[in-house]
Order: sequence, then structure tokens, then C-alpha cells
Amino acid sequence: MKKISRLGHQARLGWTLVAPALSVIALIAIFPLGWTFWESLHLHELRMPWLGKPFIGLANYIEIAKDPRFWAALGHTAFFTVVSISLELVIGLYLALVMNRVFRGRGFVRAAVLVPWAIPTVVAALLWRFIFESQGGIANALLVRAGILKEPMVWFIEASTAWVPVILSDVWKTTPFVALLLLAGLQNIDLSLYEAAAVDGANAWWQLRHITLPLLKPAILVTLIFRTLDGFRVFDLIYVLTGGGPGTSTEPVALYTFNALLQNLRFGYGSALSVVIFAITFGLAMFYVRGLGVKLGGEE
Amino acid sequence: MTVGRTVAILGAALLTGCAPAAKTGETVLTFSGSALGAEGTLVQKQLKRFMQLNPGIRVELQRTPDDANQRHQLYVQWLNARVGNPSILQLDVVWTPEFAAAGWVLPLDPYSPARSEFFPATVIANTWAGKLYALPWFADVGLLYRRTDLVPSEPKTLEEMVSQAQAAMARRGGPRYGIVSQGARYEGLITGFVEYLGAFGGRIIDDKGNVVVNRPEAVRALEFMRDELYKTHVAPLDVLTWHEEEARFAFQNGNAVFMRNWPYPVAAMSDTSQSKVAGKFTVSPMPASATAPNGHSTAALGGAQLAINAYTDHPAAAYKLIAYLTAPEQMLERAQVVSQYPTRPALYSDPRMRGTIGIPLENARRAIESATPRPVTPIYTELSEILQIELHRALVRQVEPQEALNSAAARINALIERTGMRKLMSGGAQESAP
Repeated sequence: MKKISRLGHQARLGWTLVAPALSVIALIAIFPLGWTFWESLHLHELRMPWLGKPFIGLANYIEIAKDPRFWAALGHTAFFTVVSISLELVIGLYLALVMNRVFRGRGFVRAAVLVPWAIPTVVAALLWRFIFESQGGIANALLVRAGILKEPMVWFIEASTAWVPVILSDVWKTTPFVALLLLAGLQNIDLSLYEAAAVDGANAWWQLRHITLPLLKPAILVTLIFRTLDGFRVFDLIYVLTGGGPGTSTEPVALYTFNALLQNLRFGYGSALSVVIFAITFGLAMFYVRGLGVKLGGEE
Repeated sequence: MTVGRTVAILGAALLTGCAPAAKTGETVLTFSGSALGAEGTLVQKQLKRFMQLNPGIRVELQRTPDDANQRHQLYVQWLNARVGNPSILQLDVVWTPEFAAAGWVLPLDPYSPARSEFFPATVIANTWAGKLYALPWFADVGLLYRRTDLVPSEPKTLEEMVSQAQAAMARRGGPRYGIVSQGARYEGLITGFVEYLGAFGGRIIDDKGNVVVNRPEAVRALEFMRDELYKTHVAPLDVLTWHEEEARFAFQNGNAVFMRNWPYPVAAMSDTSQSKVAGKFTVSPMPASATAPNGHSTAALGGAQLAINAYTDHPAAAYKLIAYLTAPEQMLERAQVVSQYPTRPALYSDPRMRGTIGIPLENARRAIESATPRPVTPIYTELSEILQIELHRALVRQVEPQEALNSAAARINALIERTGMRKLMSGGAQESAP
């Protein structure tokens, strides 16, 4: 009896102590989310006050479901995310393995590798745009000289070629981040495992498959979760590089939402799009955490 | 309602918070504009003169972004909160119907402005549902720049322009490009399209408010634009990613025979220290097509308008300032100081205008007379976005022109339905037709 009341007291104290933190979360996360959701149930066009602001239920969501531009944008986002992350993981793992070796100047290489990551995305995107933009640009000059292209081409007017600078710049910029995350994972692996394997006659490939990769899995999954969520929200890179063009062939969902919300000032519809993006990224995060067992806390 | 009003009052208080308190009996106006460079200095000078002439009125310059999109976004946010500042809004030519239909700007008819003294196209662009909502402050107009050393005579038709470009390109040491313009997927693409469309006698929306952008004339206009890229090869594929500046660089460096652009590059291109074509170019209106009986020489219309904020407490004083700034003397001074084109045809025969805008006055006047507003409708921005995407898809050859324009027409019609514009547009367009 006495024990229970003490527990109750402790629980109350606990709640009181976390209350400030909880209210901050409510204020900066739950309240805006709730408002966005409420807004998404209305017809609210800032440019057309004559329409009023009627409650229209799920009509905005139905419009999204019927909108081919949204589905195309979703496809572009998924394509971008899968391709760029696959490349980043493979190259990042290679870089991490190299950096994990003991060699002279290792500290310098580790710092130098981070340079692309340190450049603001918009600046990096402008840089890549400059490289690919004109027919007299660096990319064209190099490819023509190397004999890969017969004559200079205009990269941004065909969907297939417009993706090249987009994905290349993302890989260039983000691989260092991936490499460092994986490097941290590599350094947690006990070296004696490799020694034992070597004594047993296992070659490097076998060691990679049966020691490195399984033990690196937590780091890989954390990287995946970060990068997938980033990939799904990709905006600035594509905004600067292609603007979503040609036509809307490289438009991701975030750019489409920006357009609806901030260019056309369709607050209701744009809010509905935001809610959909939130639901998708939240679902992905849930999938990683529950489905693949990524541990974000320190409960290992 | 009360909450909205409180927010509005708070907002207004914040906006005017730093201004010194008004003396009793003094009317305070705020004018939205740039405070930068020669333009800023000129505006401040003219506002000062206005205050000397009207001792009871004080005008403050409220800095607003020079970038049109940013300014638009700010205005819309303020007006949704019913903020009365700036009392005079500086509108882009395609915004007036939107602001009028929203009730954000006041009709000017009670002050009986002299509309016949302005270029008709500039008046049509500022008219919504039969009422005039803004006065044109200065005009921007699409021009065809031509290298006079390569093509001495002005092309009479689009077809002649193409063959002149081909001939000049074929000459030994001739420029790489025939015609450069703005073909990226943005508003500039629409202005170019409007010019070809007019040249073939087509329109986007007709006087009855019907969407006619997929009619044969429009399809032929778009096909002509596409053929310049892939068939006659007078336009480089690069233009599909170009804005105004890229086109200017190409022309200014002597790499193009013709260029479609606004008046602004004249000054830089006439400067021998940075331009290879100084003294070797002139401008004319875009020509019509020889193959279209209803085609006419067409220029896209741009420029700035002045309107009264519907939430200002001093609409009459605000109109006084608008009338002052759009009076011949002030326009003349604008042309002299910052080379911006007057919206009053009479000024083009005024001897004081000579040498102000760097090109023959007669050509500028002809271009503005051939100017056509883009569709005068409150839903212009979204309409334009639809067209930008479809035109670009056709020009990069993702789809055929007919298919692109059919899709554009269907989506514009859906937009008109969704926004309840059907009834308003037929009424408004009819009354505002020339």
C-alpha cells in the first residue's frame, strides 16, 4: 500500500520533471503537425479569398490521389532515393574500408574527405549546374576529349540525361557522410576477429562477408534511415539543378509541394501534400526501426 | 473575425512601428518600392517633390523585394491579414486581375483617370470585370534584337527572320546561333510563346472566356518554335535552359543574329567596353507569320503598375500620388534616368525623349503598340504554370505540340472550374476587350 503510493508520487514527480520537455515537443512538433492536418481538410487558397475557407473533408487528398503529377513526382523521388543511396553506400563502404587502414596522413585524408559534405547544398548544386550547363561546359569538354561523346550535348533537356548531374552531385556531396558513419562502425569491430579468421585461412573477401558486413549492419541501417529520409525530402539540389525539368521529369514530391504551397499559395492542398510526405517518411522510419530493428538509442 | 482583425492591427503596428509618429492632421502614405541604385534615388526624389506640392501628405518609402515572386508572396500575406501598408502597391502586369478579384486593390474609376492617354494594352491588362484597378507606371515589352551588320533590313515575317538567320549563320565567320531567346521552363517561356501565338493569329483564352490554346493556330505557333530548334536549326537547344541573361550574353558576345528579349539589355550592349555588338544592333517588333491570315506582329507586355491598397485609410491621397507618378513629367524623368519606357504614347513624339532609351523611339512605340497582355485573369499564375510545363514538354520533344496543348487546355479548363472562374471570366474578358 505504502509502496504503491510512493510509486505514484515518484511517477508524478517524473511527469512534472519531463513536462517542460514534453510541452516544447508539443509546441514545435505536434502543434504544427496538427494545424497542418486541420488546414489540409479545408479549401484555402490565399490568392482566391472569394472561395472562402470551407471545410471540405478529404477532398484535397482525393485530388492528390487523382493527380498524375503527384504520382510521377513520387516515382521520381523513389528513383532518386534508391539510385543515389545505393551508389553512396557502395562507394562510402569502400572509402570507409580504405580510411580504416593504418597509413600515413590518415587524419588528413579523413578531414579532406568531408569537404564536399561541408559545402552548402545550394552552392554545390550551382557548381554542378555550372559544370553541366552549357554545351561548352566542363562535363561536355571532358567527355568529348575522352571520346565518350561525339559532340557536346545539352544535359538538361532530356529526362534520362538530366538525372545524371542530379544523382552525381548528390553522390559527390553525401558519400563522405556515409563513409564517416560506416567508418565509425568499422572501428567498433574487434580486430582479433580478423586475426582469428586469418589464422583459420579465411581470405579478405570471406572476412568482408562474414565478419565486416554482419557486424557493420547496425551502422549501415542507421545510414540507410538517415539517407532514405533525406532522399525523400530532396528539394534544394533539384530546385537549383533542373527546377524539376525538363517538363516535370525530375520533379520530386518536395518540390511539387513547395510549388503548391508557396508559389500557388494553395494552403489547403499544399498542407495535404505535406501530410502525405510526412506519412510516407514516418512510415519509412517505422519500417526501419521496427522491421529491420535499427536501434537508435543506446539499448545495445 | 476579431482575431483576424487584431492580428492585422498588430501587423500594421509592427510595420509602421519604426516610423516617426504622424503630426496631427498629416496624412501618411507608404509607397512600396526598391530603395536601391539609381531607381531608388529617383523614386525618393519624386516622392520628395510630391510632398512639397502636397504639404498635408507625407510619403514613406517601404522597402519591398525587387524580385517579383518574393514581392508577390509578401503582398499576399499582408493583404490576407488586411494590412493597409504599403498604401500604394507596385504590381507586376499579370497580378492586377488577381488582386482586383480578391478585393485587395480599389477600382480607380471614381477618380476618373485619363485612360485614353495610356497605351490600350496597358489599360486592358489593368482592367478586371469592366473596372480599372491600376495605372501603368512603366512598360516592358518583348523586342526582336537584330545585328544590323549581318541583317540590314528588318524581317517582315517570321519566315523571313528564319531565312535571314540561316543566311547570316552560313556566312564565313558568321555567328554560331541564329535566334536566341528564353526557353527554360519559367514565365519567360510564356512571354515568348505569346508572341509566336499572336504571329499566327492564335490566343490562349478568347473574348468569351473559352480556352482556345489547342486550336490549329496555336499548334502551328508551337510547331514553328519547335522547328527553329530541330528543323531549321536557327535556335540552339541550349535556349531550352536559358533565361534573359544567358540570351543576352550570347548576343552581346556576337554569337547570335537575332535575340528575343526585354528592353533592359540595351544599355549594357551599347557599352563598347563590355559588348562586341555596340552600335551594331537595333530592335523591332517581333514579326507576324506570312502563312497566317489572322497573324499579327505581337509583343508580350510586361512592366509595373500602381494600385491602391484596399485597406488603406487614405485612398484619395494614395490616388493623388499614383496620378503624380504616372504623369508625363515623372515618366519622362524615369526614361531619362533609368531608361524605363513610358506608358503614354504621346511621350514618344516628345523631343525630350530623344536618346533616353538607347534605341529608335519609333521602334519602341511600334513594339508597345503591338503589345498584347497575357491572359487577363485572376488565376493567371496557375494557368501560366500549366502552360510552362506543357510548352516545355513539347519543345524538348517529350510530346507532340498538339498533344501538349490539348493537355494544357484540359488542365486550364479544370482550373477554371475549380476556382469558380467560368462565369467571371466570360463577363470580365468581354467588357475589357478592346
